[in-house]
Amino acid sequence: MTAETALLAVEDLATFYGRAQILHGIAFTCGAGEVVVLLGRNGAGKSTTMKSLIGLLRPAQGRITFAGTDITGAEPHRIARLGLGYVPEERRVFAGLSVAENLDIGRQAPRPGLAPWTPARLYTLFPNLAAARDRAAGQMSGGEQQMLAIARTLMGNPRLVLLDEPSEGLSPLIVEHMAAAILALKAEGVGIVLAEQNLHFAERLGDRAVVIEKGSAVWAGSLAALAADDAARQRFLAVGVET
Amino acid sequence: MAGTGQILIPLLTGLADAAGLFFVASGLTVIFGVTRVVNFAHGSLTMLGAYCGWSLISRLPPTPLGFALGALATMAILAVIGAGLEIGLLRRVYRAPELFQLLATFGVVLMAQDIVQWLWGVEDLALRRPPWLRAFVTLGGARFPRFDLVVIALFPLVFLLLWLLFTRTRWGRLVRAATEDREMVAALGVDQRLLFTSVFALGAALAGLGGVLMLPDASANLGMDLTTVTDAFVVVVVGGLGSLPGAALASLLIGLLQAFGIMLVPRATLALVFVVMAVVLVLRPNGLLGRPPGRDGGGGEARALVRPAPAVLRRFGLAVLVLAALAPLFLGPYALAVGTEMLIAMLFAASLHFMMGPGGMASFGHAAWFGIGAYASAFAVHLLAAPMPLGLLLAPLAAGATAALFGAFVVRLSGVYLAMLTLAFAQIVWAIAFQWVDLTGGDNGILGVWPARWAAGPRGFYWLALALAVAGTLGLRVILAAPFGHALRGARDSRRRAEAIGLPVTAIQLAAFALSGAQAGLAGGLYAYAKGSVFPTYISLGHSVDALLMVLLGGVATMSGPIVGALAYTGLYDVLLSATSLWRLVLGAAIIVLVLAAPEGIAGGALKLWQRVRPA
Ligand SMILES: Nc1ncnc2c1ncn2[C@@H]1O[C@H](COP(=O)(O)OP(=O)(O)O)[C@@H](O)[C@H]1O
Ligand SMILES: [Mg+2]
Repeated sequence: MTAETALLAVEDLATFYGRAQILHGIAFTCGAGEVVVLLGRNGAGKSTTMKSLIGLLRPAQGRITFAGTDITGAEPHRIARLGLGYVPEERRVFAGLSVAENLDIGRQAPRPGLAPWTPARLYTLFPNLAAARDRAAGQMSGGEQQMLAIARTLMGNPRLVLLDEPSEGLSPLIVEHMAAAILALKAEGVGIVLAEQNLHFAERLGDRAVVIEKGSAVWAGSLAALAADDAARQRFLAVGVET
Repeated sequence: MAGTGQILIPLLTGLADAAGLFFVASGLTVIFGVTRVVNFAHGSLTMLGAYCGWSLISRLPPTPLGFALGALATMAILAVIGAGLEIGLLRRVYRAPELFQLLATFGVVLMAQDIVQWLWGVEDLALRRPPWLRAFVTLGGARFPRFDLVVIALFPLVFLLLWLLFTRTRWGRLVRAATEDREMVAALGVDQRLLFTSVFALGAALAGLGGVLMLPDASANLGMDLTTVTDAFVVVVVGGLGSLPGAALASLLIGLLQAFGIMLVPRATLALVFVVMAVVLVLRPNGLLGRPPGRDGGGGEARALVRPAPAVLRRFGLAVLVLAALAPLFLGPYALAVGTEMLIAMLFAASLHFMMGPGGMASFGHAAWFGIGAYASAFAVHLLAAPMPLGLLLAPLAAGATAALFGAFVVRLSGVYLAMLTLAFAQIVWAIAFQWVDLTGGDNGILGVWPARWAAGPRGFYWLALALAVAGTLGLRVILAAPFGHALRGARDSRRRAEAIGLPVTAIQLAAFALSGAQAGLAGGLYAYAKGSVFPTYISLGHSVDALLMVLLGGVATMSGPIVGALAYTGLYDVLLSATSLWRLVLGAAIIVLVLAAPEGIAGGALKLWQRVRPA
């Protein structure tokens, strides 16, 4: 897939926090119905990459194209309205609002070519949420909050979702659930960029991987190639070790 | 029967007061919740509401319907003004530090004062009251204004409407979500600008309602902006910033407390409210129903360190100092008096800067320490018949000791809550000075605080002020360059990290608070002798704001900031005052332009310019 045809194309991305340069020329693409995994240790720059894509951080350099539009430096709400969804690592559900209200905040108009998400459909995808729809989000467990964060973003009918470490800190059962939901999204034709430290989780879901180290993309290829590449695995194996 | 009246009437009075507080405070709290802007101009919006309401209602038929129409039209006008204010000014400063937003809204306060005075004149405007407005009901043998019953009924009604708005509409849900995490709301595709503008419009409309409803019992007057905003701040802080139910609860608490307090302790009513606020903040640092502050997005950028002044600046400073020391040889008494005031202002501003910049503790009530110092000197003269040096020694001691005592509560808080607690304390001190007439002379102040004979002339006193103010200001600077200063900034930048490396953070901040208070006290003592008199206005909110303006004008991040700011502010003030009757308009506009153009303050802006032009 080339930068011209991909749903999301990132070229030469550099982002700073104040004077500290965090990203040094990240580049990758992601197509519809594709799962691209950003692998990397804690502090590698995965979250910073995602925040730069959604517009919460302004890249100092590089180009981001989404659905044929240059979104480099655009405001977050404009980017989100083009159909780029973002599920942050810290989940950031609105604690004082109920589950149903949280979903409503994410609501956007249906997008041509995609079956619109409704609360009813999302409650089927995440049955735990259905039972808790009137509960305050702040009172839910970590796993439920993660589901809510994803469901809330889906209410915007995104073409592509940035998922920042959705498996972090969750029980194996919930992680299974999460994996199934992500595969269901993929089957709908939604593109997914998944930040992960958990190599096993990534290998089950991902089509391609981009390994990030100290803010640079140091390896890119299919997950099958990563599985076959012992040297690379050796070098990046630490990312697969659960902490 | 008279017994029921004795309880019923204050109860109803309290409820009516609570309603009035709620209308204004609800707007303030909603605006703060979403935009994180402490809108000092909220009282000005209330004042505008009262004046607009007066103009409209006076022209409408003197019927309840006419009044209601006038009130609704006023709310609409205020909504437009609020939206305009948001679009024209506040939108541009959301990313600026909290205190700059405050400074910008204070610029609006100043401008609004002159605009209102220009449009409506200086006279208080009372509504001509038709019979229905004058009517009383008789309850338990006592009379109660019927209109106040309407106001009381509006309290739950407005609360209910707002509650429905916030829970039953998508707009309201967006507001609540944005109050928690506005960045996330944006990342979900919501245009914050529309949301912020509409929230400001709603808040301003509520302020307008509050203003209109004050008309029948009081009148529209030029002082109501600051009194209203102070009351509303108290309510909002007691209730919890951003919490609507909190604002309702706090309004009730404070309204009733005032009504019953005036029966129980008639002479301490002013202090009572602020004592309640202080108690609530000490027990519940986020207010009654407030949450711990959420994400504020940004603000965590690295701040400039204190470096030794560049050699050029040092030489320049020395030259200015020499010039200042020689000034009495070629300046007249009036210029020297102005110079003395500037020097005192410099020390006052430097002391606030000490706790605000490096200490990270912004105070809305710094005039408290200035005032305590001034009164300490006055008491020294009158009660102890002490000579001036002793009076000038007692001023910083008294202020520093009080600051140390009170600081123990203050340093547990941070941000807006800390600022509010300092405001509360200053208001308590002010209330004591104002209401304890036997000791302080109340509004008439204490006169005859004259300096010793050797410093009695304008020259002598100027030199004395120069010596003490320069020594005090430089002393603070020396302390900041010492290990204590490093520890203080470390505690400001990351409390946790500072604690982790074993710094006694609370003790350090307390020491800084007390030291800052002591220096402000010295400035107050000097001022008392310079003027020969002491008044409660030394402790007023306006005086605290003067200090804030001086520091922010100069720039918080630079060491020379407070010096430049104090001189610029006093200078500007004196020039404007003599040049134009619309000095507040000009000063307010100047402040706003400065905030928009140079958010680092004058000295900060100059520093930036210097760094740009300096060969690398
Ligand atoms: N708000 C911030 N301010 C300054 N530096 C930050 C901030 N957030 C993250 N960083 C730094 O940026 C680097 C990348 O962080 P991040 O993108 O969160 O990594 P990852 O998501 O891969 O764990 C880290 O070194 C981290 O310390
Ligand atoms: Mg991360």
